[in-house]
Amino acid sequence: MGPLIPNGIIPEDWNYIIAILIGFAFGYILEASGFSSSRKLAGVFYGYDFAVLKVFFTSAVVAVIGLYYMDYLNWVDISQLFVQPTYLWAAIIGGMIMGVGFLAGGFCPGTSLCAVAIGKIDGIVFTLGLTIGIFIFSESFSALEPLFESSNLGNITLVDSLGISPYWIIFIFTIIALVAFYFSDWVRSKVKKVFY
Amino acid sequence: MVEKKQLNRHVYWNPYFGGFVLGLLIILTFYLTGRGLGASGALKSGVVTVVHTVAPTHAENNVYYSKFIKEGESPMNNWLVFEAIGVLLGAFLSGAFTGRLKLKVQHSPKITSRRRLVFALIGGVLFGIGAQVARGCTSGAALSGMAVLSTGGFITMLAIFGTGYAVAYFFRKNWI
Amino acid sequence: MSKKYKLKRLLVRRYQILAAILFILAAGLVLLPKYKKNEGIAPDQFVKNIISSERYISTDLLADRLVNQDPTVLLIDTRSEQEFNDYALPNAINIPLKDLLNEDFDGYINQDVYDIILYSNENFYADQAWIISSRLGYTNLYVLKGGLNEWFDTIINPKLPDETMPQEAFDLYSFRKAAGMYFGVGMVKSEVKKVTKSKPVKKVVTIKKKKKRVPEGGC
Repeated sequence: MGPLIPNGIIPEDWNYIIAILIGFAFGYILEASGFSSSRKLAGVFYGYDFAVLKVFFTSAVVAVIGLYYMDYLNWVDISQLFVQPTYLWAAIIGGMIMGVGFLAGGFCPGTSLCAVAIGKIDGIVFTLGLTIGIFIFSESFSALEPLFESSNLGNITLVDSLGISPYWIIFIFTIIALVAFYFSDWVRSKVKKVFY
Repeated sequence: MVEKKQLNRHVYWNPYFGGFVLGLLIILTFYLTGRGLGASGALKSGVVTVVHTVAPTHAENNVYYSKFIKEGESPMNNWLVFEAIGVLLGAFLSGAFTGRLKLKVQHSPKITSRRRLVFALIGGVLFGIGAQVARGCTSGAALSGMAVLSTGGFITMLAIFGTGYAVAYFFRKNWI
Repeated sequence: MSKKYKLKRLLVRRYQILAAILFILAAGLVLLPKYKKNEGIAPDQFVKNIISSERYISTDLLADRLVNQDPTVLLIDTRSEQEFNDYALPNAINIPLKDLLNEDFDGYINQDVYDIILYSNENFYADQAWIISSRLGYTNLYVLKGGLNEWFDTIINPKLPDETMPQEAFDLYSFRKAAGMYFGVGMVKSEVKKVTKSKPVKKVVTIKKKKKRVPEGGC
């Protein structure tokens, strides 16, 4: 019942083995979907390849519908799942910096690990840049601390912020996703083809 | 024979299929461990470990590093690090099966590979800083956050992709 | 139409079919009737537990276990703190009834290592504590039948049986007397010193709280 390891159904020691297996599947799926290619990833911003949007939305919709069905059938206790804390300004500004970084480098940490694994040199350089960035952040932490720690709204979910029942949120989210898929195919047919 | 291999090189999965399987994986992850995926946390643990090994006192004095240094336990003893190892292995295997293992720099034909590498480095630095500020990257915060309808996840995802679209014009020479 | 043509038309429409499936699933989530989930044991099982008198433990049995220093016994006093400080059974822990669901005490009640014996002056508070805890699904809960009043009547101050009573009654009486002596009743002055030395200090039962592990997370 529920998340197995926090409830003690599977002993704690399996946690790391499960981590490796899950990471294995994650890496395989990402690479097989083509996310180790930076030009494919950047395609979503220029309209020539919407793989990022399709994979992202599909996985989010499938995951959220699956989890809520499992919660309905009492297989999982949703309140025990990890919901990350919301730091309002940190999320927005961090997201903005990440957006610029995404466009410049063409990767994100997960996909850059995939690129490293198949030998893309720009992936390796990107990963190096990530470590340098983390290092810079840690060194200048004292200056950035107020931004980092500000406005902690707690571990809130959309249900708490918007006050709508979660099932309606999922429904609206699904509709938005389906519309986005249809829209992306339309845009792709209009944009000049890019071969990579 | 050679022709056939060339043809296979960039045949990827259907993105809807990939997304579906990824969604199932996220459900499985939450079901088994109660937490989502993540990527930048592993790199952060690596950095903390290296700094701690090289200059322990500096690491302990620094407010940020000291959060992750526990007595007697290496910061690498972290779920995300093991997951990252799995990611490397999985991607390697997938690349091996489809013949995509090749040491090269992938760049648009309109720019030089040197320019691509410079931008990759800049992008990495920016992304590293941003991921620490926002406490998550696209896979950890955005993807797993959206799977549990977390507000922070949605805000981060909107910020990333919104800013991406906003600055895409300035980087167009690199990609198109 | 030929079968092949129909199949081809199906394949062309496959994305629409998949989209329709997703839409139906999401709609189903909205439309399904939501029932309130019950935490704890099922109602019929609960009623069965209430009706059976298995939960009662007699004072004799409790005295027997305490004299034999049975380590699996955990006494919980459900009265108020003041009454607890006035008099309490040895090695009892005080959890007043109103604090029963306090999270600090959860580690004592919600475990299956010790047998928990709830007691109060009569059965009243102890029974209430029993009902609340066993509704939440906790096991190993017992109620001291008659509470402290019964304890006084049997152990501390046992009634001498008449001559017409069977031998068992006399055995019971002598057992109770002996138990009473163990708990420090009716000692001759000269032996009082020895008793007070060996009187066990109110032991602090450090039970590892089975805290529900909160999953870690983050990127």
